Amino acid sequence: MKTIWFHLMPYPELPDDFTSEHRSVWVDIDPGLFDARVGHRMYNEYIDELEFAASVGFDGVGINEHHSNAYGLMPSPNLIAASLARTCPDAALVVLGDSVALYNPPIRVAEEFAMLDCISGGRLVAGFPVGTPMDTLYAYGNNPATLRERYHEGIELILKAWTADDVFSFNGKYSKLRYVNCWPRPVQQPHPPIWIPGGGSIDTWQWCARAGYSYLYLSYFGYKAALKTMQGFWKCVEDAGRPANPFQAGFAQFFGVADSEAEAIELYREPAEYFFNRCLHVYPGFADPPGYKTLATVRNGAEGMVERAAREASERAQQTTKKAERKAAQRSFSAASHMSFEQMVEKGYVIVGNPDQVAEKTIEMAKQLRIGHVMSLCHFGNMSRDLAMHNTELMATKVLPQIRHLWDDEWQDRWWPTPLPVADRMTPSPRPSVSR
Amino acid sequence: MIDFAQWKAGSLEIWREGDGPTVGYLHGMVCAPGRQSFVPELASRGFRVIAPSLPGYARTSPSVDIRNIHDWVFALSEIIDAAGLVGAPLVASSTGAMLALELAAMRPEAFSSLVLVAPLGLWSDDRPVADPFSTTLSGQRALLTRDPTATASFFDDSAAGDLLVDATIQRYTARTATASLVWPIPEFGLAERMHRVSCPVTLVWGSDDQIVDPSYAEEFAARLRDVRGRHVVDGAGHLVEWDDPRAVASLAAAAFG
Repeated sequence: MKTIWFHLMPYPELPDDFTSEHRSVWVDIDPGLFDARVGHRMYNEYIDELEFAASVGFDGVGINEHHSNAYGLMPSPNLIAASLARTCPDAALVVLGDSVALYNPPIRVAEEFAMLDCISGGRLVAGFPVGTPMDTLYAYGNNPATLRERYHEGIELILKAWTADDVFSFNGKYSKLRYVNCWPRPVQQPHPPIWIPGGGSIDTWQWCARAGYSYLYLSYFGYKAALKTMQGFWKCVEDAGRPANPFQAGFAQFFGVADSEAEAIELYREPAEYFFNRCLHVYPGFADPPGYKTLATVRNGAEGMVERAAREASERAQQTTKKAERKAAQRSFSAASHMSFEQMVEKGYVIVGNPDQVAEKTIEMAKQLRIGHVMSLCHFGNMSRDLAMHNTELMATKVLPQIRHLWDDEWQDRWWPTPLPVADRMTPSPRPSVSR
Repeated sequence: MIDFAQWKAGSLEIWREGDGPTVGYLHGMVCAPGRQSFVPELASRGFRVIAPSLPGYARTSPSVDIRNIHDWVFALSEIIDAAGLVGAPLVASSTGAMLALELAAMRPEAFSSLVLVAPLGLWSDDRPVADPFSTTLSGQRALLTRDPTATASFFDDSAAGDLLVDATIQRYTARTATASLVWPIPEFGLAERMHRVSCPVTLVWGSDDQIVDPSYAEEFAARLRDVRGRHVVDGAGHLVEWDDPRAVASLAAAAFG
């Protein structure tokens, strides 16, 4: 099993009264809350943490893209990845990713990812998320009715740009390019492995299963709640006639490791509560605009609603609707608001404990969900750099050795980068001294 | 009576009500053929009302060809051909009113007269048109009409089982169609084309419109060639014909009479 050290880069100094005084961490968050001096410190510390994780033995470092929010401050993950490509010489660069529909034309993604693959010597994982509604529709103004079509067309263009032998014309519905000629080209051939981060969209499961892409379920609500989603994905893999290779799937999970469970609870309570209560404080009105979900997903939800209604036959239709609305809001990002740390641990949002306990729960999670890639969040909320590094070191030195073997004897990871041989890979050269 | 015509995207649902001279009705952000009192109210004033459902609304198939306002206007042009509405007077509401103006600007024979209820299509930075989707479903209802129960036939479900699933999908598809018309800002250059609208126009606004401020009526009137009347219906919200069907039917009957 591969473990990727994944950073969201949350803004660490949201005020204590944030949830009561502000309606949302995303889209219309008060710009006055951002202090650029905090930003300066934060970005540098966060890059330190990623570099440290790569140096102590994580298989990869992971980053992603969000906009107009304090939940995750990476509008451009490629900027961070470019920095890491030079300073993390062995780790995979898992960029999850570029939200394809937000790049116009999307050939920009093909170019920048190819640059990253060249700089890193073939260590890039190319992630293509649709993006959250807050990012794509509200912050970037994409039309929900055409977002997914634009997204799929963009990926088609990128893949063709990476693999075509000749300059070609691309006459898409949304991108029209007379000359497509991607320079540079990726080191990995035919292209870097493709991972698709997603929520619970049935169409995404089917597409990943059919196309052979790795599916990542980026829920922050714990592995216990993720079981149904992952079972849905594996059913699609089975239906597509493909083997259930665990490396075709991944899951995001918060970890808090300490010498004892009691110490872990003490250490990680505050950053977890900060993350779940403040960073996920999203106004429900931003979470579910019409057109964002595919009709298959809407139908699935409606059928679930009908089943519930059948069980509660005496309930009036209007009450059912309100209940579904409430339930949808609960499934949204703000689900964990005002939840205690004990509840988060109990529900599996955060795996905490001593290294043995964490390893045991992680293996249980990986087996239940059947995943070969763990996006491990060892920094969350307002965690200090020192604590993040402590957590990271314990995870790398005492947990990873216990979980790394999982699946290796049965399955090959076909979704992991295939870099140039070490001997052929460039590393940053020492700067020559210059006499002044 | 509700029947179906065929057009390039598949089925086109058309609600026909009453006898007399033909009058069209083009819905706005919500649509409930057979279950909206405005249509019989208008028909009762001696008209044959023809009310097509736009692509994605009710049982008219969504059109995969529609990606921008240009495509929407061409779709409407084909729909009035298929529905037999060319040259008829038309009541159009909200997003439908915006589309009607766009079509009238490029196809002068499309409508003989227009009664427009709170059209979208213009934008003023100091009075931004509200975003009807950055809210919950209940919040959206409260934005659309003064009385949130006025649109119950669109938002509430009386069906069960598979019919409830179908109704949920239909509502989602309709809301997606509206989103495709207004996202992110429902201003597509209409201000530069509106002077080409040659037919007489009557403007109707609800006094409590939460989506398009009633003061926008002045902006429309300043750009249109032939405005015959401007009316504010007290106590009505954005979708005036849902809040006060009688008032809009009376204004339309007077305009078309």
